[in-house]
This record gives sequence, structure tokens and C-alpha cells, in this order.
Amino acid sequence: MTMLSRVAARVYWMGRYIERAENTARLVAAYNHLIMDIPQGSEPSWEILIKILDAEPVFDSFYKVRNEQNVLRLLIGEAEAICSIPHAINAARENVRTTRDVLPDEVWELVNELHIYSAEASEKSVGRRNRQVYLEQIIQRTQVVNGVLRSTLCRDHSYRFIKLGQLIERADMSTRIVDVGASDIFSREQLRQGIDHLLWGAVLRSLSALGAYRRFIGPQVEKDAAVEFVFLEPSFPRSVFFCLQEVREELDLMSNNRISQRVAERIRRMLRGFSTEQLGPQELHGFIDDLQVQINILHEAINETWFLTDPG
Amino acid sequence: MKNRWKKYPSGSYYDELITPKGTPRQVARPAVKLLQQLQEEDLEARRAAAELAIREMGVSFTVYSEAGNIDRAWPFDLIPRVITAREWNKVRRGLEQRSRALNLFINDVYNKQKIFADGVVPAEIVLDSSNFKEQCIGASPRFGVWAHVCGSDLIRNSDGHFYVLEDNLRVPSGVSYMVENREITKRVLPEIFENYSILPVDDYPSQLYRTLAALSPRERKRPVIAVLTPGIYNSAYFEHAFLAQGMGAELVEGADLFVGEDDCVYMRTVDGPLRVDVIYRRIDEDFMDPEAFREDSILGVSGLMRAWHAGNVAIANAPGAGVADDKVVYAYVPEMIKYYLKEKPLIRSVPTYLCMRDSDREYVLANLEKLVVKPANESGGYGIMVGPHADAATHKKFARLIEKNPRNYIAQPTLALSTAPTFIGDLIKPRHLDLRPFILQSRDCWVTSGGLTRVAMVEGSLVVNSSQGGGSKDTWIVEGRL
Repeated sequence: MTMLSRVAARVYWMGRYIERAENTARLVAAYNHLIMDIPQGSEPSWEILIKILDAEPVFDSFYKVRNEQNVLRLLIGEAEAICSIPHAINAARENVRTTRDVLPDEVWELVNELHIYSAEASEKSVGRRNRQVYLEQIIQRTQVVNGVLRSTLCRDHSYRFIKLGQLIERADMSTRIVDVGASDIFSREQLRQGIDHLLWGAVLRSLSALGAYRRFIGPQVEKDAAVEFVFLEPSFPRSVFFCLQEVREELDLMSNNRISQRVAERIRRMLRGFSTEQLGPQELHGFIDDLQVQINILHEAINETWFLTDPG
Repeated sequence: MKNRWKKYPSGSYYDELITPKGTPRQVARPAVKLLQQLQEEDLEARRAAAELAIREMGVSFTVYSEAGNIDRAWPFDLIPRVITAREWNKVRRGLEQRSRALNLFINDVYNKQKIFADGVVPAEIVLDSSNFKEQCIGASPRFGVWAHVCGSDLIRNSDGHFYVLEDNLRVPSGVSYMVENREITKRVLPEIFENYSILPVDDYPSQLYRTLAALSPRERKRPVIAVLTPGIYNSAYFEHAFLAQGMGAELVEGADLFVGEDDCVYMRTVDGPLRVDVIYRRIDEDFMDPEAFREDSILGVSGLMRAWHAGNVAIANAPGAGVADDKVVYAYVPEMIKYYLKEKPLIRSVPTYLCMRDSDREYVLANLEKLVVKPANESGGYGIMVGPHADAATHKKFARLIEKNPRNYIAQPTLALSTAPTFIGDLIKPRHLDLRPFILQSRDCWVTSGGLTRVAMVEGSLVVNSSQGGGSKDTWIVEGRL
């Protein structure tokens, strides 16, 4: 079965938006958790969430004061803001709504239910009291969607493009989290020793990597090991390396894959050569920048090869 | 709860479930009994469950408004409409007969025009109609069928008989809601099915597939079928997606298709161009092909008519089929049935007076206060005069209009639409309804078991359109000794 280019683009974006909703919820949940462990006066700023999501201009168009309430209002309560969880869910739903014919019935119902839940709960969930429940619900419900996709969707183009969307989104988000997490922590190190393991623990937690890290590396969370784990661990499904491996496997099964495959291979080689040894904060940031540029090039290659097909 | 049903007024119209004596009709008895036995809270819970199911299943339709397009939840009434299979079989045969005659007529009109030569239908009423498309002259679609999907609006009059009110031969919609209404009833009132043998309705997409696949110009086991939608902002988009999914067909927009130099139609896919055999178009023919029809259409596919005339792609419904979907032509359907099939009509049409005929016009002018007068070429209820509700001045105004331009007007007796018990707030009240069954025609003919029942939710109103606040009911065709 082949697939319309327009439909392929939409399921790809559905994959990205579902993943984005989940990752943003994980990120906020992890910071929510962290904030309660940090001694007063050393709390990382809530602004960091806005930085990770590249959402500063959006934030400024909605609010003036950068405090917890406003940051959370933007990410949870503002369906209109392009960086918010409800926005990602709306966009995912629109993409499913227009591709229902290639997806299992349950996927539409689940995404629609997710949308109904989020629309009803999001504004009430900005405050600390309901926030955690909302975030957990978003994570769980997106996971259920993923589960149904895995267990019912044929391994054809629809599955492939959804998966590509998810993997690229996930790789992108993992690099963002490490990048801004790292720079915030570096700027803080001069101020106070002894809490950076909490912060790196939060970074890992936001990627659901904390448990795996402990088993693979050990109970003590350290910066270098944590960064390497998130970037390179080949068995951890949220590591950048893992995502790239999977992207390459999916691309292998497609026609016209030459350009995309070349970009994916380039990223993999970049990661192969990566090590935290002797790496200062500037170098780390530079590396992550390059990585993000390449991930974006990969997205463009997919876009041009399969979505923007014009008649010959 | 029981009291609610006791207060139910009966007798003024034909009621689908309740006799003039106030007791349930035999066929409706188990259903009414079950609903009566439900406790207040239980009933409320079921109604809430139905609403939730509709939202979760995403059964919706789009309403256009100044504030933008709103995706609204589908309005559904819990109390089903029940019809016996015995009665339905008669209706079904009447609809099949009608569909055959209409298709013979359309094919005749675009080819030999024998019906004009034989003086059965005056040529000018057809050829002057905007529904007659010159671009279609000489085409001969497979099996001589043009209207592959027909949605006929039926009403039941106070005499208890079904009448065809109109035949929708262009892009009739509503069938997905027929299927979803059954699904909702199954979810929220499962026990009501225990005492009935109800004919299923969910095989519609596969019947549609069969109908369309038979049209394929290429002999293939699985022809490539595409559902052509104007896009997500169309009010029936939900249905387009529903049918594409149900058939395993591609849901395409105009921009997904192109006509190649070989006059074949192709889809743009991730694996390159793929030839399309059959297009089920849910887009008005005027917008279908900017090369043949409206140049300003951005929804269509340039060259589609070329490909169709060349026989390289089948289009359902065929462009031009709307020529038989016209109020004046409607008046001739009984004659068509006699002319083409040598049969007597098996289902009633509403008697229609054509003001262009002298004797009809005399009758209409003498009986304006009893009749509904409609312009022949308008749709959507514009310019209609309902005689019994209009004042003397309006009667006079219409008399002048008719005399000035008799060909533009038709008149019909006022009909009393049947009612059925419907939830209105906490109460159960009679509301008027119609019924739209769907008739599929290609190699064979097939009619849905029942159809979509639409309900006018406002007391006394006859407006059943969902865009204007109309509701809907699950419609059962029940087998067995009832």
C-alpha cells in the first residue's frame, strides 16, 4: 500500500505532536518534582522551561513577568500558544482527524479523548495542586496512543512516518533538555555546590532516564555520565543515538531514501565521535547546536523527498 | 417516568411509535416498555453516555458561522424509530424501481433523448435547466448508470404511507450518521437489542465499495478507489473520512490528484504517481474540473472530464446526474417509470402541479390556500409559500408570480409529516421527522435497511436539517412476527 504525500506529512506531524505533548509534560513534571527538593534560594528558575522550548518570544507575547504561575499558564493553560501542551494535542488531533482513513479507529478515539480531557482540564491544572495529575494523565494517554499504534497499525507507510516523526521529535527534545539543563547548571555551579546531582537527576527524570541510568551507571548522578547516557546509550529508547539508529532502520525500508539516509548517517558519526572528556560548557553547547542543526536538516530532507512531491 | 409517556399527545399526526389510542404500536412495544421501565437516573445516565460516546467517537458535523467553522457534536435522540421489515420491503422495491428509472432517464437525456421525441417529458424543461450539463453529452458510463448513490428523502403522511419528497442525485450525505447512530444505541442501550431482530446497517461501506469497484475501467482484483473531498472544512468531511476508511480507499483532495498526458488520473504518493480507477466524488461537479466547469475552482482536478470521457476513470456520481434532481423533473418520475420500465410506480410521489400546464395552473390558482408553492429552480427552502400559513396578500402575490412566469413554479398539497416520541429536555414529546434511505446502483441495486431519520426539534417545525438544529434517531428495520 502506498500513501498520499499529503497524508504522509500529516501522520508524520501527528507523530511529532503526540511526542511533543508527552515530552513537554515529562519536562514540566520533572521540574515540578525537582522544585520541591531544592533548598529555598537555590531553586532553578522556571524560565528554564521556556528556554528549553525556544519559547521566549511566545512567552513575551502573552506575559510580562517571568514567574512560575505565568510559565505554567503558558505551557499548560494556553491552547493558543504554540509551545503549550494543549496546542500540541490540538495539532495532533487535527492531523489524525484528517488521516482517519489510514489509522486504526481506536487511534482517532483515543486522540480525541485526549483532546477532550486536555481541553477540559488544562486551565484548571495550572496551579500546583492539580498540575501533577494533569501531566500524568497526558503522559499516560499519549502512551496509550503509542501502545495502540504499536499493536494495531500495519508496518506500512503510515507506521513508518508516524515513527519517523516521533523519533525526530524525541531526538530534538533530548538535545534541548541537555543543552539548557547543562547551561543553567553551569551558571549555578559557582553559586552553590552540592545540588547539581539533584538538577542532573531532574534532567534524567524529564527524559525518563533516571531508573535506566542508575541500573547502567550507578546511583550517583554526575554530569558527564548523564550527558553521555542521554546522547549515546544504544539500548535506551530516548537516547539520541537510539533514535538515530531507529530512524535509519525505517529509512532503509523506503524508496528514494538516499539523501535522508546520508544525513542520518552523518549524525550518527557525530555521536560516535562524541565524548564529554575535556569538554567545557562552551564546547558542549557548540556540539549540541551542531547536532540540532543536523536533526533539522534530516527533517527537511524527509519533507522534500516525500511530502512536497510535485507532478513530473 | 411512566407518567411522562401517559401525557404524550397522540392522534393529531401519524406517530411512528404510538397509536392514536396512546398505546405503543406492536412493533415498538418492547422498546417503549424498556424505556418506560428505566429509572429516572438510569435514563439520564444513558443519555449522558450517548453524548459522551458521540464526543469520543468524534461524530461531528461542521457548521459555518461568522466566527469561523465549528465542529459540532452530532445531535442524537435516544428513542429509536422502529419500522417492520414487511413494510420496509415494499419501500425498498419502490426505491429500486425509482433508481432504475432515474438512471435510464439521465442516460437517455445525455444520449438519444428518446423520452423527448416520444413526448413524455418536454425537452425544454430539461435542456434549459442549469442542472443539465452540456459537458456530459454523449458520455456512456458503465451499465448506463449515472447516479450510483442516491439519497431519497421520504416522509410518512397522515395516511400512513411513505412518499418520496425528493431524490438527491448529486452528493447526498448523511449515511455515516446512520451507521454511527446504530453504534451509539448499541453502546448505551445494549439490552434493547435482546427482544428484537434488527437488520444491521454497518455493511454500507462494503456495499459502496462493491458498487464502486464494479465501475473500474481496468480489470483488477482491487481497483484503486479514491474519495474526493473538498477538504476538512466541508460540513460532511467526517463522512468522507468515514467512508474512505470503511472502504479501505484513499481520501483525497483535488491537489492530491493530477491528470497525466495519457489522460489517466494519478494520485501523488510517497512512492510516486499511482493511477486511480474510480473516484467517488463528494464535491459539486461545478468545482470538479476547472478545465470543463468553473475556472476559478481550486478544489478540482484539471482534465478530470477529459479522463472520464476517455473512459480512463469512473466518476460516481457521474457529472451531470443532477439533471434528474430537479423539482419539475420530479413531477415526471411516475411517467418515467411507466415509460422506461413498463411498470406502475411502487412508491408514492407527492402529487405535483406544474404551473406551466394550463389545467394544473388553473387548479393551483384556485386552491392557493391549500397548497405549498415552490420555485422550480431554487433549493434550500427559498421562495416557498406554504398556503395554509400565508395570508391573502401573499396568496395574491404568488398568483401574480405564477401567472407571470408559470414555468418557474410548481405546487404540492401540504403534507402532514409523521412524528415520533423525542426527548425534549426532561420530557418526551412528539416531533416531526423524515427518512433518508440510500440507494446504490451499478451492476446491481442495493438499498440501506432504513436510513437516516432526521428530527425537527422545535415543536411543530418541519425543518430537520442538522445545520439548523435538527436531531436524528437510530432507525430500525425489524424482522419477525411483530
